[in-house]
Amino acid sequence: MVALARKTLIYEWRRFLPAMLAVGFAGLLQLLQLALVLGIFGSTSLYITGSSADVWVGYPGTQSVGSGRTIDADVESRVLMDPAVLRVEPYIWVDGDWRGPAETGGVSVFVSGIDPSPDALMFSKALPPSLRARLAEPDAVVVDRSVLNQLGVDIGQTATINGHQVRVVGISSGLRALGGVNVLCSLDTARELDEDPADIGPTYLVAKLRDPRQANAVAARLRGDTAFGPYTTWSAKDFARRSVLYWLFDTGAGAGVLFLAGIVFLVGAVITSQTLIAAVNGSVREYATLNALGVGVAALRRVVLEQAFWVGALGLLGAGLLGIVLMLLARSQDVPVVLTLPAVLVCIVLVMGLAAVSGLAAMRSLHRADPATLLR
Amino acid sequence: MQTATAAEPLRTPALLAENISKAFVSGQQRTQVLDGLSLSLDAGELTLISGPSGCGKSTLLAILSGLQKVDSGRVHALGSELGQLDMRALERFRLQHTGFVFQGFNLFPALSAFEQVELPLNHMGLSRNEARARAQSSLEEVGLAHRMRLRPSELSGGEKQRVAIARALAKKPELLFADEPTSALDAANGQMIIDILHRIARTHGTTVLCVSHDPRLVVHADRVLAMEDGRILSDWRTHAPVIDSKELPL
Repeated sequence: MVALARKTLIYEWRRFLPAMLAVGFAGLLQLLQLALVLGIFGSTSLYITGSSADVWVGYPGTQSVGSGRTIDADVESRVLMDPAVLRVEPYIWVDGDWRGPAETGGVSVFVSGIDPSPDALMFSKALPPSLRARLAEPDAVVVDRSVLNQLGVDIGQTATINGHQVRVVGISSGLRALGGVNVLCSLDTARELDEDPADIGPTYLVAKLRDPRQANAVAARLRGDTAFGPYTTWSAKDFARRSVLYWLFDTGAGAGVLFLAGIVFLVGAVITSQTLIAAVNGSVREYATLNALGVGVAALRRVVLEQAFWVGALGLLGAGLLGIVLMLLARSQDVPVVLTLPAVLVCIVLVMGLAAVSGLAAMRSLHRADPATLLR
Repeated sequence: MQTATAAEPLRTPALLAENISKAFVSGQQRTQVLDGLSLSLDAGELTLISGPSGCGKSTLLAILSGLQKVDSGRVHALGSELGQLDMRALERFRLQHTGFVFQGFNLFPALSAFEQVELPLNHMGLSRNEARARAQSSLEEVGLAHRMRLRPSELSGGEKQRVAIARALAKKPELLFADEPTSALDAANGQMIIDILHRIARTHGTTVLCVSHDPRLVVHADRVLAMEDGRILSDWRTHAPVIDSKELPL
């Protein structure tokens, strides 16, 4: 079989280049947008994904990690009674007002009070053991490298949170927050920082199971007991998803992302289809001749669709290569970008869908390939 | 009338048009292009339709080849009535039985001469080897064996038209239609093209119908139909075919 679609694409590559660029850049935009969204909004579940707890216990109706309320400390014993639970520890979230030594004004901070012991669950994947150990000192805090300027502070310096003096004993990385700044301290320090006299228990209890695969079952089993006041449970995975979805959709950011994705798709499809239509029109006499010789319209359509496929595939390849470079660049600059396999697949489907839609549009202009018009 | 070929095809014309009419309407204007025209063409002959531009000769070609429908009348090609066939069936008919050569050569810029010829054969259900063998022999027949790896941009006008003829010829069509095949070529190349078309009619028994206003072609045709205003004005035969004939007519 003579590979008409591919040979034409190679021989007349200049003609197809705008389509490949349109597809490529549309793909790149979708990819980077998705990576940024996952990176930025993924940080809202960092507290969960950066820890090794399997089940989270918190106030009923909590929509994201940052909007928790205190629960009764006695729930801990209820959770420990479950034979599947290996370890339980409290986690205290305090919203604070940071005043640094430099002139930064007040900075809104999210204080995470965690267990400083070496085998603790909270931030076990994000905080090196040596830094965690330093939190055991009274009033010691750890802040992220990316927010040092924002907080106007450096290691060893002191500042105040909610009027209470703290000292920066370490600098972490990868603990960026959305809408504020993460500050880590011990449970005891966090209790000192909490101004609200109504807060008597922890904000969350996090539990490690003997078998992490049972997280859903255990979370369901622990739910619904009201003997210790209101609380509910989630598997870590569910709670992380809940947090990300809350930020994506309840803040309007998700709608913005979807809107932009739609625009990018539309613009890409318009440019690509116009280029493909021009390519079909450029060869319309040759297509008409083939049709006169008896090659069916269906076969000609396949040629156009195949060209669209190759345009999509080559555009995707370019987008992929450039995307990797840009992702590495972003990572090196502490820009939160995260790509997951499903996200990449979504991008591939979007780009190939764009190419397919464009190919279908171009196919329509084949009706001009009427061989009778060659006889005039 | 009679040629040296076998006896049966004599009574069944390859192409038969009965009282065909065709009009085009643009806006308020209605133009009668063909007006009650009847015609019968035999296999193995090169028939030339000549006439001034606008006389309806291209429309006649389009109708006889199944590219256009008639308003009234009937066209029989190789025993099928073209008016009865739907678009798919017409495509299939053209695929199996017809070849075309157009004024513009209409070759794909990206394909070599060999691929241009092989491409339609791929769609005929031939094996890869059969398609390649046919492409090879067709190109040899039009004298392009040494040029078949070249793309259209590397070929002269005459060579391009020979590739277009080879593309039609490789299908081994019973009917070969040519529309002004020499008008874009100089005298020598035009001469070569018409010689090839003539030879195809003789050696393959193909019915070749050529539309042209080029007076140089008249002497090479077996039969010349002069058209004007949608009718055939005259129908005459040039000298009797002698080259391949063993028997002289009558």
